[in-house]
Amino acid sequence: MLSVEDLYAGYGAILALRGVSLQVKAGELVALIGANGAGKSTLMATIAGVLRPFRGQITFEGQSLLALSPEEIVRRGIALVPEGRRIFPSLTVAENLRLGAATRRDKAAVERDIEEMCTRFPILGKRFHQPGGTLSGGEQQQLAIARALMARPRLLMMDEPSLGLSPILVDEVFAMIRQLHKSGVTILLVEQNVERTLDIANRVYLLNTGRVECQGTPEQLRAQVDIVGAYLGDMWRGD
Amino acid sequence: MIGPLVILASVVHLFGGEVLQRILTVLFINLVMVLGLQIFMGNSGVVSFAQIGFMGIGAYASALFSMSPQAKAMALRNLYSWLVPVQVPFALAVIIGGLMAALVAALVGYPLMRLSGAAAVIATFALLIIVHTVLINWSEVTNGPRTLFGLDGYTTLWVSVAAGILFLLVALWFKETPLGLQLRASREDEAAAASIGIDIVWVRWVAFVLAAFITGVAGALWAHFITSFSPLAFYLPQTFLIISMAIIGGSASVSGAVVGALAVTAIFEGVRGIENALNIAAVFPFAVSGLTEVCLSIAMILILILRPSGIMGSRELRL
Amino acid sequence: MNVLQEVLQFLINALSLGGLYALMALGLVIVYGILRLVNFAYGELVMVAGYTLLMLGTGPLPWLIVAAISVGMAVLTSLLLERVAFRPVRQASATTMLITSFAVSALLQNAAILFVSPRAKAVVTPSFFTENFQVGGLLISKGNLAGLVVSLLLLGLLTLFLRRTLLGIALRAAADDFVMTRLVGIRANQVIAAAFAISGFFAGVVALFWIGRLGSVGPFVGSTPVLVAFVAAVVGGMQSLTGAVIGGYLLGALTVGLQLVLPQSLLDYRQAFVFAIVLLVLLFRPQGLVRGTTITERV
Repeated sequence: MLSVEDLYAGYGAILALRGVSLQVKAGELVALIGANGAGKSTLMATIAGVLRPFRGQITFEGQSLLALSPEEIVRRGIALVPEGRRIFPSLTVAENLRLGAATRRDKAAVERDIEEMCTRFPILGKRFHQPGGTLSGGEQQQLAIARALMARPRLLMMDEPSLGLSPILVDEVFAMIRQLHKSGVTILLVEQNVERTLDIANRVYLLNTGRVECQGTPEQLRAQVDIVGAYLGDMWRGD
Repeated sequence: MIGPLVILASVVHLFGGEVLQRILTVLFINLVMVLGLQIFMGNSGVVSFAQIGFMGIGAYASALFSMSPQAKAMALRNLYSWLVPVQVPFALAVIIGGLMAALVAALVGYPLMRLSGAAAVIATFALLIIVHTVLINWSEVTNGPRTLFGLDGYTTLWVSVAAGILFLLVALWFKETPLGLQLRASREDEAAAASIGIDIVWVRWVAFVLAAFITGVAGALWAHFITSFSPLAFYLPQTFLIISMAIIGGSASVSGAVVGALAVTAIFEGVRGIENALNIAAVFPFAVSGLTEVCLSIAMILILILRPSGIMGSRELRL
Repeated sequence: MNVLQEVLQFLINALSLGGLYALMALGLVIVYGILRLVNFAYGELVMVAGYTLLMLGTGPLPWLIVAAISVGMAVLTSLLLERVAFRPVRQASATTMLITSFAVSALLQNAAILFVSPRAKAVVTPSFFTENFQVGGLLISKGNLAGLVVSLLLLGLLTLFLRRTLLGIALRAAADDFVMTRLVGIRANQVIAAAFAISGFFAGVVALFWIGRLGSVGPFVGSTPVLVAFVAAVVGGMQSLTGAVIGGYLLGALTVGLQLVLPQSLLDYRQAFVFAIVLLVLLFRPQGLVRGTTITERV
């Protein structure tokens, strides 16, 4: 479904990705793990079209994404839950959700989806007419995920959805991701919470200083625990 | 850089007619003005729209000190009586003009130096409007919105050339002083500059005051070249002119100021020639005016789009 | 006149002028909020609408049609400027964009000098701009009353647009976080064009009343509206549409109030006072009275 080949990208003269290749097949939950500065977020930003790569190829369902603007990439069916959530603070929860469906024309179905999001994330229903900026971190994270889902994406990219959340909320977020995956959404997940991520992912890529260090199923990575531990240190054990 | 400028002035002095000499005099006065702007804007990266206000202050202040009591009695009937008999030599009057501009800049400038980007532009723009309003209404010393006349034409071609070269050297020197280096560091990255202990407000303020002094001197020179003027001379059209010089030449380098002043004067005089020719030949049933500014603004927009750092960028020509 | 009448008179005048000022400020801030562009050429949109009024005013068309075409011309010019001058510098610094708009402003003013006339020309305006009527001892100008009503109406319509339509919500979102707005699939060019269209629309409507009051149009007719918009926007808060409206009404009240209070000798310095207030606001409350919510870089 998504294929990244030999990607080089970065900011200014700083090269954050040095020849990254990865594949996501339809229905998979693929996780990217790695320490801070490994290039995970840069990879997400490049796929989303916010950053132009220096070299390499990105294709989605067989078509290149390289020349497309972020908005066109969303329209192809890739939604992003960005790092830091980035909900619109002055817009109400309802408006945030509605904007999530900006690419869709089926008004009635959008309304139904908004209702469904409020069932799935009850707190959003409760805060429906409050500005997003007044929500707590965990609530904002749920809103960010719900907003991305409103686009009915074929591929959902999530950049550290559990960052900065309390342990209970982290549990909730991972349960949610697992549930989304079961319901048929293809997911590319960036996480620092390695143990948890290995529990739910189909396949995992370990990124280190802009390169794919190793990849495989969670079992395969667990078997190489030394290598992984060396790169991730304490994070290996999770929170 | 200085050699060709002196040669240009000499050739015009020897072979050029009066018109050409006047054009060149204005060119060098404008050069001083752009150098003033460059010292502040080029090194700090903060745009100042207030410069022409300082030019006005320099012009009026120097006039008050250079005019003879008789001329003042004619032109400024309501002048404060203690100022009427005051008259000093031209050079001193010019320096007083520069100092007055610097004083105003020093007093109001310090708090403004915290601002950058759009806020700085609007603040300096507000300052220009305030100075302009005061010049128009303080009729005791400016003759109000009416023309002030009776100045002596002390500013010859060589006076303006000397001032141009002097301040060219000052601008080049300032850029390399420790303070100039700190200022340029703050232009590249405010946060990083502050984190290594640079007092951004202070270094900007010093540059702002120096720039105001130079611009005030330019105003004084211009006043004693044109010999009669009104506050309208110190407003948006003139601001547009010097900003276009800085942008077209490239404000990050002193050479950019020189190239900008030359290029804009060339465009300006060239198109004005066409304008005059059209008017004399009566090609159109109305007087053509505004063509010079139209061409200049198009040139400026093209530069901003295609080469935002100006013709010179941050390169310096050799002296 | 008794005190009540004086207060009412003041209120009507202040609300009428303030409404116009609020529209001017909104037109400026709606673009600034998204692009960080302080658009000096905003005043020239007023000028374009004014010249359209001038040219069509003597023709056979009824005034309302002429007015609609004039507003349309301001919208078109605003869109054209965005496409030709501002889009190419969109990625550049705020300063570069601002100087570009300054150059565009000079270009349009001088084009007017070149192609029309350096002098202001009288515009045919409907008589109601200069007519007054009396209600209970109050002298009310019909033009002022129309300005008051129209500005309130437009503020209401804008609010509806910004709250109820997807494009309106996207405009507010773009002022919050432009990149994220693109990441939900909103086309950058579309929101920016919408902002410029609204800006042009307000400039056009302002032109009808402004030029209706002046009775003439010249190359510099937009200078005062753009300055007013600057002041109101800075005072109210450049990042906030609500702030712009508040700033506009405050400035309207201040202008009418100073006219009543200041002695003639100081009235000449009114402009200096107003801009001194701008300086003070910038120094002590740079975000203006109403703080915006912008969190990230643009485009």
